[in-house]
Amino acid sequence: MSLETGSPDNKLALIYGALLLRIWLGVRALQTGIEKFAGTRSGDQIVAVDGVPNEEGLVAGASAKFYSLDNYSGVPTALMSKFKDEPLMLKFALPVYDWILGPVLLLLGITILLGIGYRTSLFLLGLLYISLTWGLILIKQDDGVSWLGIHMILVVGALALAQHNRLAILKKW
Amino acid sequence: MNSDPSHLNRRDFLSKTLAGAGAGLVLGTPQLLRAANRTAGSDTIHIAMVGFGKQGEVLLACLKNIPGIHFQAVCDISKNRQNAFRSASRGMPNASSTTFYTDVDDMLAKEKGLDAAIVASPDFWHSPHTVKCLEAGLHVYCEKMMAHTLEAARDMVRAMDKSGKLCQIGHQRRSNPRYRYTLNKLINGQKICGQIVNANAQWNRSLGASQDIGGARLAKSIIVPDDILQQYGFKDMHQYLNWRVYRDLSGGPISDLGAHQIDIFNWFLGAVPKRVYASGGNSYFKNREHYDNIMCIFDYDTPQGEVRAFYQVLTTTSYGAGFYESFMGTEASIKISEIAYNSAIYREDAAPSWDHLVDKNYLVRKPAPPKPEPSADAVASYESAPPEIFDLPGGFNKPAHQPHLENFFDAVRGKGTLNCDARHAFESEAPIFWVNPSALTRSPIDFTSEHLSV
Repeated sequence: MSLETGSPDNKLALIYGALLLRIWLGVRALQTGIEKFAGTRSGDQIVAVDGVPNEEGLVAGASAKFYSLDNYSGVPTALMSKFKDEPLMLKFALPVYDWILGPVLLLLGITILLGIGYRTSLFLLGLLYISLTWGLILIKQDDGVSWLGIHMILVVGALALAQHNRLAILKKW
Repeated sequence: MNSDPSHLNRRDFLSKTLAGAGAGLVLGTPQLLRAANRTAGSDTIHIAMVGFGKQGEVLLACLKNIPGIHFQAVCDISKNRQNAFRSASRGMPNASSTTFYTDVDDMLAKEKGLDAAIVASPDFWHSPHTVKCLEAGLHVYCEKMMAHTLEAARDMVRAMDKSGKLCQIGHQRRSNPRYRYTLNKLINGQKICGQIVNANAQWNRSLGASQDIGGARLAKSIIVPDDILQQYGFKDMHQYLNWRVYRDLSGGPISDLGAHQIDIFNWFLGAVPKRVYASGGNSYFKNREHYDNIMCIFDYDTPQGEVRAFYQVLTTTSYGAGFYESFMGTEASIKISEIAYNSAIYREDAAPSWDHLVDKNYLVRKPAPPKPEPSADAVASYESAPPEIFDLPGGFNKPAHQPHLENFFDAVRGKGTLNCDARHAFESEAPIFWVNPSALTRSPIDFTSEHLSV
């Protein structure tokens, strides 16, 4: 089997490669955005003893994840307090960034998955990852920086394969 | 003596304790007080808090979590403590409508519509405050120890009976789900201990936590004027802040700390003791009126057989796992504490398997501790095999005093019976009043009805 550029077999492989990267990056962005609306509802359940709820009121903790607009938190609280202490951080921009981060991830996830302005969407996603990287550099979260670096490689890979992108709603941009 | 046939009279006492047969029934059965007669539809309970010191703060933190409570009045001789209540109750429904008093008689005369009182004043005021509130027609939740003297505690039981109102004493472990489960399901239900032959409990408190409150110079804001102090039984600010170390105002560490745990002896064993031997001394706090360290042994005749229960309260050392109670039987020992992690159940090696109890979720198995390396100074044949360790299948996520307060308010609403009414509390507390006399005289005291009955 030949995999030379331009050969039909290789073209199919490149189309598959572009599609996989598109799905990966789209799902990654979309689900990350959705998770910004996740919360945990914790409660106690009466412990069953010999199949019957105990009368004395012994309970065991139980928690359930749920999604709600009220749960929204763009930048995790633990990181937010660290960012606030950073002298280089623009204080007025922090709440704005916190407010738009989730919706932007949702929007870019959808546009990438559906192929709407695919290349521009990838470029914007790359910019978003750069902004996150800058914040993590400020607070010395080197693991997170490396993690985002891998994301950037995937974004660049997706852009390199963008010419093989198929099944797109809006190919322009 | 009260003529009410439900009372434990002296003849009953002798037959129930010294004969060793029926005391378990007395202590093991919750009081069947008549349900409170509240107006249907009015679910809010209007309460007064009498005394708002540190224990008052503990209770308030719990009361905030209980719906349908309205703090109508607060009574404390200190303006500073009244202000402390204002800050601590901020955010509670109707908090701004609370009226403040320095005198309980004044409060009871002026406040209309009160349903209940929470008494958290110093021990020597418990009985007068409780009796006054009961006589005024209020249900009462009073902190333990019931009183600083046996006679004052008797007055509380008599006032409860005469008024027909509810009177719960703050032995909060009696409403603790972990304690109730351990007694009902494991000790009485599955009889996992076999025959309980010994009990042991302690409260070891560090020197740092036992120091006098306040120093040579007190902040102006906390100072109560001398005339007010003397009107309410305090010689000076030191007595006011440290009433627990004075003999006329409190029973000292054995009642302050020991009362909770000796109550558990009586409750779990289903009996009252027949004898106490005690020893104590001013080992460190030379100038205190009460002994700073006391050890005592109670002898019980229980329906299962005789039991010796050792109790120690130290105010100079916290080492030794703090505070807990343990019950040691032929098949298992139970170590229980208000602190869940300080609790465990140990199955004796020769006891029948508990696999079926684990399967049915009566217990959960705890990981076995690592086996110690063989030691040259140990004689293997002298050692018993280490017991298997188990735990309860759950816990509870509330402040320790909350279930007991909930039980009280449920009873006030006519939805249940008290877990520790004044009569049961008296039966449990009466032996504690004799620990200090035994330690002071260095001699055992054999209990008679004069010692322990109302």
